[in-house]
Amino acid sequence: MKNITKRAYVIYALICAFFIGLGILMYSFIAHGGEWASNRINRHVFSNRQLTNAGTIYDRNMKVLAQTKNGERIFSDDYYTRVSTLHVVGDSQGYIATGLQTLYRPNLIGYNFVDGVYNSVKANDKSDIVLTIDAEVSKTAWQAMNGNKGTICAYNYKTGEVICMVSSPSYDPENKPSDIDTDTTGKYNGIYINRFLTGVFTPGSTFKVVTAICALDNIPDVTSRTFTCTGKYKIGNDYVTCNNRSGHGKLTFEEALNVSCNSVFAELAVELGNDKLTETVRQLGFGSSVTVSKAQTVKSTFDLSNAAAIDRGWAGIGQYTTLVNPCQMLMLMGAIANNGQAMIPYVVDESSEIVDEKGKVNKNISINESTLKTIRKMLRSNVVNYYGDSKFPGLEFCGKTGSAEVSNGKSHAWFYGFSMRNDFPYAIVVCLENGGIGYNDAIPAANKVLQAIAAR
Amino acid sequence: MNNDKKPAYRERLRRKYKYVDRAFILFLLSIFQFFTYIPVIFHDEKVFPLQALMLVGYTLFEWLYVFVMHVFFKKVNFELEFIAFFLCGIGLCVTTSVNPTTIVTQLASVILGIIVYDILLWFLQDVNRVMKVRLPLAVFTLLFFAACFLYIRVAVGVKNGAYNWLYIGGVSIQPAELVKIAFVFVGAASLDKLLTAKNNYLYIVFALGCIGIPVLMRDMGTALIFFFTFIVIAFMRSGDIRSILFICAIAVVGAVIVIALKPYVANRFMAYRHVWENTDNSGGYQQVRTLIYCVSGGLFGLGLGNGKLRDIFASTTDLVFGVVCEELGMIVAFCIVICFAVIAIYAVVNSRSAPSTFYSIAACAAAAMLLFQTSLNIFGITDLLPLTGVTLPFVSQGGSSMICSWALFAFIKAADVRAYPKVFKNS
Repeated sequence: MKNITKRAYVIYALICAFFIGLGILMYSFIAHGGEWASNRINRHVFSNRQLTNAGTIYDRNMKVLAQTKNGERIFSDDYYTRVSTLHVVGDSQGYIATGLQTLYRPNLIGYNFVDGVYNSVKANDKSDIVLTIDAEVSKTAWQAMNGNKGTICAYNYKTGEVICMVSSPSYDPENKPSDIDTDTTGKYNGIYINRFLTGVFTPGSTFKVVTAICALDNIPDVTSRTFTCTGKYKIGNDYVTCNNRSGHGKLTFEEALNVSCNSVFAELAVELGNDKLTETVRQLGFGSSVTVSKAQTVKSTFDLSNAAAIDRGWAGIGQYTTLVNPCQMLMLMGAIANNGQAMIPYVVDESSEIVDEKGKVNKNISINESTLKTIRKMLRSNVVNYYGDSKFPGLEFCGKTGSAEVSNGKSHAWFYGFSMRNDFPYAIVVCLENGGIGYNDAIPAANKVLQAIAAR
Repeated sequence: MNNDKKPAYRERLRRKYKYVDRAFILFLLSIFQFFTYIPVIFHDEKVFPLQALMLVGYTLFEWLYVFVMHVFFKKVNFELEFIAFFLCGIGLCVTTSVNPTTIVTQLASVILGIIVYDILLWFLQDVNRVMKVRLPLAVFTLLFFAACFLYIRVAVGVKNGAYNWLYIGGVSIQPAELVKIAFVFVGAASLDKLLTAKNNYLYIVFALGCIGIPVLMRDMGTALIFFFTFIVIAFMRSGDIRSILFICAIAVVGAVIVIALKPYVANRFMAYRHVWENTDNSGGYQQVRTLIYCVSGGLFGLGLGNGKLRDIFASTTDLVFGVVCEELGMIVAFCIVICFAVIAIYAVVNSRSAPSTFYSIAACAAAAMLLFQTSLNIFGITDLLPLTGVTLPFVSQGGSSMICSWALFAFIKAADVRAYPKVFKNS
């Protein structure tokens, strides 16, 4: 009898296991509650797997971008606003994985652990989100892209707030094209992707800024050197052709960046070597990703591990296998503009959740001070001495264009830069896929957006 | 002379307050129940008079039961009964709220369960009587179970992927639920006898039958419950951990063989820990919805009738924990399941002072069975364990499950020295 009562303690072991199970259950309810409650299966907030019961999304001027009315999710009443903000706001079905309607669903449906979805279902009290995005500027950016695929994003490099983030192709969420999933012509290629956050592109000449930074860091007399461009840079039987086939002649380092001389930058890349280039690329954050209001950006790729000298030469002018993410490019400009501090962009200004992603610095980007000064001067010189200040009236702009050669179709037209004006601390990146020449196509688009920001 | 003396003032006061305590707890329970009845009786801008009558009648029945048991049968403690009343009340509300017409059978099951509980409790009072029926009951149970299985296999067929439903006069019953009662009864009684080899072999044959038939019925949950209870009883009796591990090893080998021979068994559990990749097939359909709607309810719930899990298949049986979470809130839901842990503690504490090892083992086995079944149910539908489709005792809809739960409570109660006032007084 005594033994048996002792053995009864085995029941306590079972009870302990039971409570551990309950603890795990409670923990998973707490840890995954928001994710589960905002699943499309949840018929409290979705009908036909479309988000219906959620808060309003406003732009920075409190213009409605998306809201729920009479049990239906409706977007802005302006066509261009809908199209240009689609990738930021997101669709209601969750196809756009980086859209706020997907990433901020738990907030939008007013979910919290204590009340569940009670607030949105019974109390009709949902949570609104205010964005840093300006709908008007986004419209301008969309129109400036002129039907090209690609992305334009402008942000305040001192705070990180994004004024416009447009990705093309896009569609009207109120009137989704019926052939979107069946089309074979390619006009909707990557339509659900926000190219700014998760796109990667061949950088072309914009990457010369990186090569220049590496040269400034590692070749002490590079600024006082004179280079000669004959129209191509030869290594043995291989060569890198210059954008000016007849050659730029004699050039200083600064002039080489102004005219974007391939020969000079290929030569510098070959001279610097794989290790130093790779190290600079890493220090500038290209191997890392950041979180832009809960959306994870993709990493850029730069790989010289099996590169011959000629490949390194191509990599130095942004060709070879290099692919960069536009957000990373924007942060690089932000870092140069903001004394080496690269602010991480964010788009959510206010939401029911404490926004802890506001005003964060990207610790993966570091540039030493003297290099920073020189490269800033050189980027300003690009605009003053080559593109012309008239391209950016009144903005004191700095930047670099790019026309990245790609295997299919026209080159990508790039421009990225920033304003030196203290009262206009904006940086911008423009990338038009197969959009043509940086100088001809990307600069005018950038200026339109910047002027729209300045005019607000 | 001493016997005629009135109890001391302090003793009188104690008794008085104990009495008040019971009434007070029942009063609180009634208040809680009336509040939960409201949305069941009034919804969709309609009043449901039959349901109102039945539900209020249930609460009055609780008072009547306690009164009669106290006054006429001199019962002094009602902890278990209160817990069962609480659980049954929630079960009644949820099933009635989801499907108003089910209240008649469900309430009848509760009352039938209480009757079975009291008859069994009375029967267990005499250990000699228990020992006498042990062998016939074991034989009858095995034959009954086997006959049911064969009958279902031939005449009824598969329901929800298992051969475990029997229909008698329009009422569906699960024979396995009734066998559970006999399983604890025979197990505890057999092992109370001297540990003779013959006795052991007979019991092992009985246990193997009870575990094997549900396997053939494709009712893995019930087979697991029987196996687990067998382990608990065997351990309580022998304390031989090596033999227990040996048995478990054999069981694992057996399970592997079953899975190798019958692939559908493994297929059933394919979605385990992968329910989010199987949201729209039978593998994860129920679990995913249970999780989603559990968290949607929050701590306080959306209110009875406002849930969405109720529309999912088996919402009042297997998924009832999820419906309670969503509509009554996690606090109530967790209170319900914690009740089963409290019952288990109650069983262990009472088993120490039980008048015979039969009571000790029966109480612990019954409590372990209930707690294990509860674990299989709530952790199964939330994907912490594989989904086996067992009910939540007292709360899930279903007559046989209800009767079985009450009967298991009789074993737990029987170990309580206060369960038999007269015996207690004489001893």
